[in-house]
Amino acid sequence: MALFQLHIPILDDIKKKGLKPALLAAVDDSVVRFTAGLGINDIRGVLRGDPAPKPNPRLKPHADGFWFHMRPTYYNNLVQPLYPSFRLGWLSMYFMVFETITGVILMLFYTPSPLVAFENMLNIMSNVPLGLFMRDLHKIGAEGMVGVVCLHMLRTFITGNYKKPRQFTWFTGVILLIVTVALSFSGYLLPWDQLSLWAVTIGASMAEATPTPPPLDVLGQQWFGDPQFIGTMFNNLLRGGPQFNANGLLRWYLGHVLLVPLVGFIFIGVHYYKVVLHGHSLPPEAEKVGEDSAKRVPMDQRTYFMPDILTDELFLVALTTFILVFGVTFGGYHAPLEPHADPLITPLHTTAPWYFLWLQGMLKLGDKVLWGVVAPSVIFGLLFVIPYIEVGPSRRYADRRIGLSVGMIVIILTSMLTFMGTPWYAVSSSVDQEIVATLLPQTHPGPLRSTKVDQLTAGQYNAKDYKSAPTQGLQKLLEIYNNEIEHGKAKLPGVEGIMIIEDWQTGLKKITFRVVWNGGANTFSQDAYLHQDSNYGE
Amino acid sequence: MTIRVVIGTVLIAATMMIVTFIMINEPARMTDFEAGFKGRSIEAGASLFQSSCTPCHGIQGKGIEGVGPSLNAADLFSGKRLKEFGWAGTVKDYVRSAIASGRPRASAAFANYPQRMPTWGQEFGGPYRKDQVENVVDFVMNWEKAALAEAAAATPTPNPNAVGTDINVQLPQGDAANGEKLFSGKGPGGSYACSACHSLEPNKTVVGPSVAGLATNAAKRKEGYSAEKYLTESILKPNEFLVQGFNPNLMQQNFGQLMDKKELADIIAYLMTLK
Repeated sequence: MALFQLHIPILDDIKKKGLKPALLAAVDDSVVRFTAGLGINDIRGVLRGDPAPKPNPRLKPHADGFWFHMRPTYYNNLVQPLYPSFRLGWLSMYFMVFETITGVILMLFYTPSPLVAFENMLNIMSNVPLGLFMRDLHKIGAEGMVGVVCLHMLRTFITGNYKKPRQFTWFTGVILLIVTVALSFSGYLLPWDQLSLWAVTIGASMAEATPTPPPLDVLGQQWFGDPQFIGTMFNNLLRGGPQFNANGLLRWYLGHVLLVPLVGFIFIGVHYYKVVLHGHSLPPEAEKVGEDSAKRVPMDQRTYFMPDILTDELFLVALTTFILVFGVTFGGYHAPLEPHADPLITPLHTTAPWYFLWLQGMLKLGDKVLWGVVAPSVIFGLLFVIPYIEVGPSRRYADRRIGLSVGMIVIILTSMLTFMGTPWYAVSSSVDQEIVATLLPQTHPGPLRSTKVDQLTAGQYNAKDYKSAPTQGLQKLLEIYNNEIEHGKAKLPGVEGIMIIEDWQTGLKKITFRVVWNGGANTFSQDAYLHQDSNYGE
Repeated sequence: MTIRVVIGTVLIAATMMIVTFIMINEPARMTDFEAGFKGRSIEAGASLFQSSCTPCHGIQGKGIEGVGPSLNAADLFSGKRLKEFGWAGTVKDYVRSAIASGRPRASAAFANYPQRMPTWGQEFGGPYRKDQVENVVDFVMNWEKAALAEAAAATPTPNPNAVGTDINVQLPQGDAANGEKLFSGKGPGGSYACSACHSLEPNKTVVGPSVAGLATNAAKRKEGYSAEKYLTESILKPNEFLVQGFNPNLMQQNFGQLMDKKELADIIAYLMTLK
């Protein structure tokens, strides 16, 4: 009898079954452990869409595996098609993961300091292979995520899924909506360019308007010598001081990469758990009023997660990834990067990101406190409690006329407010400046910078003589200029548009736009420089 | 379901192909981007230069006498100016350092510029961020090529038809009228400007001896030399014979490399009219 017994089961197996079958069995065993229940042949069956064997090994991962235990074992046949869910919840989750992956890659090349953040952007775009690609993907993913999450919420509202017993699922969903928007908005500041600084300035100055209610303002005066100390506190918290500074940037960065995602992943867990707990609710017309039959699926109406739902979801992943990659490669979508942030230069038109334009529109209605602080808080508060307000038992569309009408009105109002948030609505600035800003905008390249430098022949031109300009590019530019001048004629009597082009340096031209009116008594002029390599057209 | 698996697989393959396509184009794109950003930096620098630097260094950096020296100048980019006060780094480093930290006092070569250059970089108490200083540096350095090329064009290039230094060369028939133009440096073709040093008034010395009455004197100056031969030698090899009281190398030594035979003949023909 040996003192030590060496136990190597694979050797025994090989001895018993022969080399090849024993090794195959060992591999299959590993796969079964990895998938928590499915062997190689089972996976093959799933992918080929074979009918499930009995006993069904495809149920094991749902019981034993971590990832699949978060997903239901089967759906009702009625919720398997695109309607009623449109797979928007899955897509939201997809975007969350997509943003995490691209975001972590960008993090490798980013330092949250005003001294180098902008330089890091240039480095990512000029010196990191696929750096620009990742940045564009991260940005397009962020926009997509906000859109998909909003649509997901809208769909849930329309089909009335948030009614009893799913009120809390909706509640966590609203938290996830806020997380999504917060993630997207906090990412805005990080490149530290003009766009980021001024978009986030709108947000911070709204927070600054937070009122200090009566008993506190007296105390605030006593404690800090500042009766509006709550607003000031928010402002200091968000900007790191009276002006945006290094501390402010660091806070937004940590919020973007740590705090908000953490809250997000926690509530995604809760949200998912509630979905498994309550089951996917059926289309409103498919069940009796006041009944929730999602958990009782008859045997003959089951669509098993594996293979149908799984392939469906993986297909969506492949499709969405393709669309995003295509969009940033051939679709012309690029994350913008404006000049370095400068608190001293305010761009002519500062806009919030598109999903906050409704808020900017509301701010134009009047009082900053009422429309910038109170109204948004009330709106988000209402979103949380909708399921506890709309308590009618029926989910049928015909029975929810009031609820759906209010929903439609909210959508219309939001669209109107979004339009009002754009610079086209109620922004007064002088006509002469607007004329030049059309050609030479501060927030995007615009017509002048998109013109090739060799098209700009040195000389002095009048916009109204655009047809006789020496090059085609110049003709086009002067035509735009002339159109703007024509529009401005009503307000500026006898207005004329002059454009002067000078050869300034090797490859560099100086361009001056001069708007003259009242017979030369008033002028407004602005100059710009354009280098032949600048390539704003990309 | 099968169709979804197939399309999904095709889409993944297509996505990977796009990424491969990007990867292949990436080096070229990155180079382009760098050039593009350099261009934008120069633009931003031009704007900053216009508002902050032009008041002292003049429009286009041509300098304002006694206020700020020229920056659009060959001696800055050739390194000559840097050598004068012992700067060891590159011109670009020097420009960056001078903009960011200023110049507490003018160097000896610029003694007539008493104003000190202020500091512009934020780290030295100035108004500009690092990237803005870099923008101005890029703008100033963009003059390098043109300034050096301009200086190179100003130095005379050797004439391929030059007469050389052989004083026995056969000269064509001279044209005294053209010779006068060449001599006086006025009008088209008047490029030698001999009159800048040689006066036409008798016994008047500007730099070199007067040429008045040269037609009669020339034949007497050197034994065995005709007037024409003497003049040829005096122009092509000025040190061979020196008029009394004039030092060697006072006269430009390289006319043989600049003039062609016709021009030399014309000048001599003109000089022979100065009786």
